[in-house]
Amino acid sequence: MSPIETSEPLLRVDGLTKRFGGITASDSISLDVGVGEIHAVIGPNGAGKTTLIGLLCGELRPAAGHVYFAGREITALSVSRRARLGLVRSFQIPSILPNLTVAENVALAVQTTLGRGYHFWADAGRNEALLQPARAAIAELALDGRRNVVAAALSHGEQRQLELAMVLATKPRLLLLDEPLAGMGAKESAFVAALLGRLKGRISMLLVEHDMEAVFALADRITVMVYGRVIAVGDAASIRANPEVQHAYLGEEQA
Amino acid sequence: MTDAVKPGLLGALAPAAEASPLSATRPVRRLLIAALVLLVALPPLFTYALGEPYLIALVSRMVILGLAAVSLDLVLGYGGLISFGHAAFFGVGGYAVAILAFHARHGDKFIGLIPSSSDMLVTLPAAVIAAALAAALIGALSLRTSGFPFVMITLALSQMVYFIFVSLKIYGGDDGMSMHGRNTLAGFSFADATTYYYLCLVLFLLFLFVCRRIVASRFGLVLRGCKDNERRVRSLGYPTYGYRLVAFTIAGAGAGLAGGLLANLDRFASPDMLHWQNSGNLMVMVILGGIGSLFGPALGAVLVISLETVLSRWTDHWMFYLGPILIAFVLFARRGLWGVIVDVADRNV
Repeated sequence: MSPIETSEPLLRVDGLTKRFGGITASDSISLDVGVGEIHAVIGPNGAGKTTLIGLLCGELRPAAGHVYFAGREITALSVSRRARLGLVRSFQIPSILPNLTVAENVALAVQTTLGRGYHFWADAGRNEALLQPARAAIAELALDGRRNVVAAALSHGEQRQLELAMVLATKPRLLLLDEPLAGMGAKESAFVAALLGRLKGRISMLLVEHDMEAVFALADRITVMVYGRVIAVGDAASIRANPEVQHAYLGEEQA
Repeated sequence: MTDAVKPGLLGALAPAAEASPLSATRPVRRLLIAALVLLVALPPLFTYALGEPYLIALVSRMVILGLAAVSLDLVLGYGGLISFGHAAFFGVGGYAVAILAFHARHGDKFIGLIPSSSDMLVTLPAAVIAAALAAALIGALSLRTSGFPFVMITLALSQMVYFIFVSLKIYGGDDGMSMHGRNTLAGFSFADATTYYYLCLVLFLLFLFVCRRIVASRFGLVLRGCKDNERRVRSLGYPTYGYRLVAFTIAGAGAGLAGGLLANLDRFASPDMLHWQNSGNLMVMVILGGIGSLFGPALGAVLVISLETVLSRWTDHWMFYLGPILIAFVLFARRGLWGVIVDVADRNV
C-alpha cells in the first residue's frame, strides 16, 4: 500500500473526543484515510463507530480534536458544506426520500455537482445534465427497472442500493459508509460488496461494517475501536493476529 | 402494496415516455381548459344570463383567496412546512395598499419617506415587497426550528404582526381602514367589478404558472426533498435552511399580492386579514382542495367560499358544518377534492 503511505492523507482525524453525559463515545481518536484507500472501522456494539461517522460528517460537534480533509481543517464546517467538499455519508438505516421516485432521488443528488445557486425556472425533468448522470448511477446500482418507482415501495436492500446510487451521484471524494451491508440478503450484500470493490481506488472510503468477511476482503487498513478508544490499527493480517483485538473484540462478540 | 409506479416529475427518465403530474394527463388537461373557459366566461354569464352581477365580487374573492391558498401550498404542500402564520403576509399586503392610498389622499408620504400612490403599478409591488420582507423575517426566525415548535412560532410571530396593526390608531386600529375607491392602473380605472375581476384572474393565473415552474425546477426538487427527509438532503450537500427560507419568502410574497388585491376588491383593509383564524382558513382551503397540487388549493378556495356563502345563508353556525366536511376529506380523500377529480377523470378516459 505504498501510494497511500507516501501521499498526504485525504482525511486526518486528530484527538477527536465526544461525550454524551458521562459516556465518552469517542475518546481522543486519531486516524487517517489515504487517497484511494478503504479504511475499515470495526468494533463491538457501542464502540462509538456511528458517533465517529457523525463527527466526521458534521452532525455532531466534538468536545476536542480536529478533522482535516483534503488539506484543510473542517472541524467547524456544517454538514452540507462538508458534503460539498466531497465528504458524503450513508446511514445505518438507508436514508432516502420515500415519496420521490428513484429517478428523482438520484437526480437530486446529481444536482449537487451542477454548482450552486437557485434555479427556479427550467424544468428539472428535461435537464439532460441531471438525467444523464442519474441514469448512469441508477444503472451502476442495478436499479434500472425501478427508475419510476416511489422509493418507499423499494425493498430494504433496494433502498440501500438507492442510497448508494445517490451518494455516488454526488461524485464524493470520501465515502463514510455506516454498515452498508447491514440488513441485506446474501445476494444483495455480495452485490454491494463487489461494487465497493470496483470503486476501490477511485473513491476513498471509511467503512464501518460488522461483516468481517467483507471487511477483511475490502479494507486496506482496519482500525479497531472498543468503548470509544482505538485499540489497534493495521492491515487485515495484523489485525487478525493481534491478541488484544481477539480478546477485546472477537472474544466479546463470540461470548 | 404493489410497486406504486408513479410517473414523477422526472418522467422523462422512463424508458417509455410517461406523463408526469405536471404535464397532466389528457382528461385532466381538458378539465383545466374547461375551468379556464368558465372563469373567463363567468362575468357575462352572471350579468346577462342570470341577471345577478353582484356574484362577480364573490368570484373575485374566490380567485384572490385561491391565489393566497396556492402560495400557502408552496410551503405547506411542497415544503412540508406547517406555517400557521400565512395570513400575516396576506394582511401586510392588504395594508400596504390601503396605507399608500391613505397617504396619497392626504398628499403626504408614508413615514415621511416613502412616496404614496394609488396606482397599482406602485401599490401592488409594494404589497408584494412588504409581505416578502415580513415573510423573510418571520421565516428566518421560525425556520431555525421544525415540527411543532415551527407551527407555534409562525403562529406567535404572525399574531404579533396582527397586534401591531391593531395598535396603529392612525390606520384605523381595530376597525381597519377604508379606501376611497380602488387603485388605478396607469390611469385606468377598476371601478367596474368585471374589469377588476379580470385583473385578479390574470394575476392569479400568472402566479399559478410561476408556482408550477418553481415546483418542477431544480429548486423545487430540493424543496420537495426537504419535505421528505431534510437530514438526507443536507447530507447530500444542500444548505436546506436557505432553500426553505427562499420558498417561505416567495409564498409570503404571493400572499401579499393576494392581500393587496383583496384590499382593492373590498376597498378595505382590517386586522382580521392578519388574524390566525384567517391562516387556519387558508389551511382548510389547501387541505380540502388537495395539498401539494397547486390546482387543488385554488379549488379549495372556491369550495370553502361557496360553502361559507351557502351555509351562512341559513345558519350563523356554518363553521359547525364545515368541520365534519373537513374531517371527512382528511379521512376519506387525503388528496383532497383535486385528487378525487383527477382520479375520476383518469378513470373515465
